[in-house]
Amino acid sequence: MKKMITLNVNDREYDLVIPVNRTLTQVLRENLKLTGTKQGCGVGDCGSCTILMDGRPVNSCLVLAAEAEGHKIETIEGLSEEGQLHPLQQAFVEHGSIQCGFCSPGMILSAKALLDKNPSPGETEIREAISGNLCRCTGYQKIVDAIQSVAKKV
Amino acid sequence: MLLPKFDYHAPTTIDEACSMLGHYGAKAKILAGGTDLLVHMKKRLLSPEQIISLNKIEGLKEAFSQNGTGLVLGPLSTAAYLADSRLIQERISVLAQGASRLGSPLIRNRATVGGNLITARPASDLAPPLLVLSAKVTLKGPRGERTLPLEDFFLGPGQTAVQADEILTKILIPNIQGISAGAYIKLGTRKALEISLVNTACFLELAQDGSIKLARVALGAVAPIPLLTPSVSKILAGVKPKNMDDPVFREAARAAAQESKPITDHRGSADYRRYMVEILTWRTLKNAYSQLMEKV
Amino acid sequence: MNSYSVINSRAPRLDAPDKATGRAFYTDDLYFPNMLYGALLQSPLAHARILNIDISRAKRLPGVKSVVTAKDVQIIRYGVSPARYDETILAVDKVRYVGDEVAAVAAVDWETAQEALGLIQVDYEELPAVFDPFEAMTEGAPQIHDAYTRNICAEVHQEFGNVEAAFEQCDLIHEHRFVNKRQDAAFLEPNNAVAVYDQLGYLTLYTSTQVPHYVQRTVSMVLKIPIGRVRVVKPYVGGGFGPKASASTLELAACLLSIKTHRPVKLHFNREQVFLHSRARHQFFHTFKTGVKKDGTLLALHNTCILEGGAYSSFGIATVYYAGSLLGGPYKLPHMKYDGFRVYTNRPACGAQRGHGGVAARAGFEQQLDIIAEKLGIDPVELRLKNIMEAGDTTCNELNMSSLGMKECIEAIRDHSDWKQKKGRLPKGKGIGLACGFFVSGAGYPIYRSDTYHATVVVKISEDGGTVQLQTGSAEIGQGSDTAFAMIAAEALGVRYEDVRVVSGDTDLSVDLGAYSSRQTLMTGYAAKDAAEDAKCQILEVLSEALNVPVEKISVRNGLVFFEGATPDYMPIRLAYIKEHRGWPYDDRPHDDHLTFKEAARLAYLKRGTIVGTGKYKPPKLGGSFRGAAVGTSPAYGCSAMIAEVSVDLETGEVTVEKVTDAHDCGLAINRTSVEGQMEGSVAMGLGEALFEEVKFNDQGQIINASLGEYKIPTALDVPPVQSIIIESNEPNGPYGAKEVGEGAIMPTIPAILNAVYDATGVRITELPITSERIWRALKEKK
Repeated sequence: MKKMITLNVNDREYDLVIPVNRTLTQVLRENLKLTGTKQGCGVGDCGSCTILMDGRPVNSCLVLAAEAEGHKIETIEGLSEEGQLHPLQQAFVEHGSIQCGFCSPGMILSAKALLDKNPSPGETEIREAISGNLCRCTGYQKIVDAIQSVAKKV
Repeated sequence: MLLPKFDYHAPTTIDEACSMLGHYGAKAKILAGGTDLLVHMKKRLLSPEQIISLNKIEGLKEAFSQNGTGLVLGPLSTAAYLADSRLIQERISVLAQGASRLGSPLIRNRATVGGNLITARPASDLAPPLLVLSAKVTLKGPRGERTLPLEDFFLGPGQTAVQADEILTKILIPNIQGISAGAYIKLGTRKALEISLVNTACFLELAQDGSIKLARVALGAVAPIPLLTPSVSKILAGVKPKNMDDPVFREAARAAAQESKPITDHRGSADYRRYMVEILTWRTLKNAYSQLMEKV
Repeated sequence: MNSYSVINSRAPRLDAPDKATGRAFYTDDLYFPNMLYGALLQSPLAHARILNIDISRAKRLPGVKSVVTAKDVQIIRYGVSPARYDETILAVDKVRYVGDEVAAVAAVDWETAQEALGLIQVDYEELPAVFDPFEAMTEGAPQIHDAYTRNICAEVHQEFGNVEAAFEQCDLIHEHRFVNKRQDAAFLEPNNAVAVYDQLGYLTLYTSTQVPHYVQRTVSMVLKIPIGRVRVVKPYVGGGFGPKASASTLELAACLLSIKTHRPVKLHFNREQVFLHSRARHQFFHTFKTGVKKDGTLLALHNTCILEGGAYSSFGIATVYYAGSLLGGPYKLPHMKYDGFRVYTNRPACGAQRGHGGVAARAGFEQQLDIIAEKLGIDPVELRLKNIMEAGDTTCNELNMSSLGMKECIEAIRDHSDWKQKKGRLPKGKGIGLACGFFVSGAGYPIYRSDTYHATVVVKISEDGGTVQLQTGSAEIGQGSDTAFAMIAAEALGVRYEDVRVVSGDTDLSVDLGAYSSRQTLMTGYAAKDAAEDAKCQILEVLSEALNVPVEKISVRNGLVFFEGATPDYMPIRLAYIKEHRGWPYDDRPHDDHLTFKEAARLAYLKRGTIVGTGKYKPPKLGGSFRGAAVGTSPAYGCSAMIAEVSVDLETGEVTVEKVTDAHDCGLAINRTSVEGQMEGSVAMGLGEALFEEVKFNDQGQIINASLGEYKIPTALDVPPVQSIIIESNEPNGPYGAKEVGEGAIMPTIPAILNAVYDATGVRITELPITSERIWRALKEKK
């Protein structure tokens, strides 16, 4: 079964005809070629596919693309404008928070959702907010540092 | 991992959803948050031909007070909503606590209370808090609506009293009269993204004279279903503990351990789980009682 | 502190902006026109004979373009070590574990490829399987490979000094058994491969690998294509940690399917398949018997180890050697005996993972040192300091510590953690523990016997002289190697870091053995420095001639040229340069006060054509002449020490690591931020192994926790703040004195936690992971 849907991704409307069993991760990556959203497990265990849905971070691998219709979807590609990095992206670069980079898009989006809700979180709140985003490289220290540095600026 | 093929429906009213479900019966599955259903489908544990999504139906996502009789939770209230809602935190904090420990922040933004109950995992984070709050569930089907206590809802792992053509439409939490408090503790391996090895929820209500009017303890992951423990209620009813260290709480905790029916699996052994029931129950009771003492 | 302009600083990584914005390409992000999608059929049985494979129905499915089995290829065995080539692209007559690959399909989309798998009919004759290495070694156990009786894949017996005689001199001998669990590397990017076979017969393989070079050789050997016609490209890789350090069926099958169909073919492992492919840390069953004098002087160690290896060798021969050789240091140990056995079982093959072969050995041995310290009444810090090796020392198994800041590491963590105030003085349930470790900074020998260079690097200067391109086949897999090489090249050339562009991970660019054994900073870094110096030398020669100034009197720093003594008249060079850029914007004008490197490099180009510097690295002959002496050799060794502070819930057994103080000697730190990143990442991975991680099986040989939900790696809430202290020794064999950090840093983590847990609880846990239940049980037994 196919369905025609309109997705609002990074403030742009896309009209798509997709099989209804496609997840949002698949449609972002394969139809829209927004490959910044990563697929690490497909079952909500790792957070690599994190996107923002109406400002809230969710595992896009567990959202049917058809169910994303009518919601505002934000991916990592929507964060920087004309090459200007978002303050969180800049902080991740400066603090050495990125190693292999596979968790980074999701991690940054979870951090953004946190700061949008709570501009000056403590360390525990930061760790809590990114606890659904696994990172195997960094030990999280420099990720927490980066988020904290942006929180302070706010 | 690919999803199997299915047809997708997004009705806009409960009645429409009910009639679709009546039409397709066991061939259909209701989609709420999808954090369990879609995983099961990707793993080919389930391959429903029809998916009926409730997400386009208005008004199922919130909790509200119902004319003085209690709280109503919409079945699509997410775990994040339950954890963060001022109403839930103030009125029934034990549920907020349970919700805040479910999965991860990402999962909590999608997982719904209705879906969590329907999935009927023995390790559910929401069922024990709802059990101690004496929650009831309303099911709607072609034969009309029925409401049953949550303790009669769970039949086994993944098994509930819901018929193939019924939809869970409401969760009701009766009003609490006196001073009350609850607590939830989850024991897992890591501190997030975790399935309970054991979890316990408790709820205490005080009578005017300071004695315990009502005590309820429910356990997760130590029986085929989330388990309410009547023996604990019996031991504590009418008791006036000296303080939170009163031995009666340990006695009640021991009774909870007696009532649990843990199994040994790769996550943990039965004897460890049983002892953890005692420790965690004891801790939740002490925690709830100390909250009560602060409120008095 | 020092006179470096670029290195030893905190440069932002070259790859970070692309990775932060989602622009960085990983293999799965590549799409080619007319690309096909593949899938692998894997064995549902742990051990079975293949009687027949019927692919006819699968082939008939519309959209299926190719179905291959072992019958479609000439069988050429491959693996990691040529001495144990025991794998084939697809199973030939037997399957040896649940997940062993039997057939491969290419189709027009993922769904069709998956559907086709279901149409392949395989008739199996199930054979008895064996999962336990001890059982596998008994007479009459099911034999997994015909050539290896009692399933012994590799066996090591070494003795240095005379252990029995030394034990007689000892005042205390302690023996204990230590067991870790089979790990999964749990890198976040599942393995992916895209093969593109073109009309001229050239094959390009894009793959998430740590070792483009070894993959190229394996593809060439197995598919019989000359090396020059096989190009392996590694896009960005989402972590490797060891299991991506050899060629896999995934890669070979993608190539095979592309050759068959003449179309690009993409294949990937889903998360469960990553677990099934495995190649991660073995389970080691160690017994340590250590003898000491009563003043704490270490005299002798007898180490025995059984490794559960799984169905194929993978890195196993090296692993079984490492499990012995890496206890030769960092303590003076005159007598050491090692008996090791790596055993085949009907489980996925184990291979190398961060700290290859040495992590479990180190964990158990450092625990034993604490037991001994307690028995002797000596502070664990003092016991270690008493026996510590120093730079210039050689271990009993002939590993030379050309630099070693071990003592400085121990002292640093002792002082920064307030050890003296805490050790033995914490309340019950709180504990502090320490451990040390060291690791190779690049294997002394390649995996196949060869005189090959381990790294070659090309440095090419753009024609205008303004941009340096560094070309290397090395593998940036997240550790930051590209950035380190850019910094080294910038330092060596005297240009700004921003003016160096690195192109890497492509076998067309240079020969490089890749990212394993913590080798790239030292080896590729050395070649990068060599190449940059070569290019610089060529440029300065031209400049010297033009200005009539001896080369020795010219230096370059931050892109500017400096002259010793009087500055010659360089205006003719400048005028020529400006003339060549007539009409160019103001910003492009060279520096007011100095001749620039750019002008000099332009001049060199005009005189000599494109300026290309080449560099290379090959270690000198290392190690002893005994059997297996090569494993453990390295031009240098990194070392580290760590203190963990834990709290243990004495009723539930839950362990929380509260704080970590970590020190690592990496020689000279090229990029200080990256060094800390490796240290912190090592702590997290070690913490996971210590507390949570274990691949679990049922009695059919199926993995029961093949997901990141059930195989538990630490979340942000599980890892404590880490204080990272960089200790800098000057490594004579490394570029600018640099050596490894990526793997040595994990060595002390597990034992430091184990020792802290003992301090908190009074119970010794000798089996990983330290689950709450294990502690609860130990506490109960103690009562």
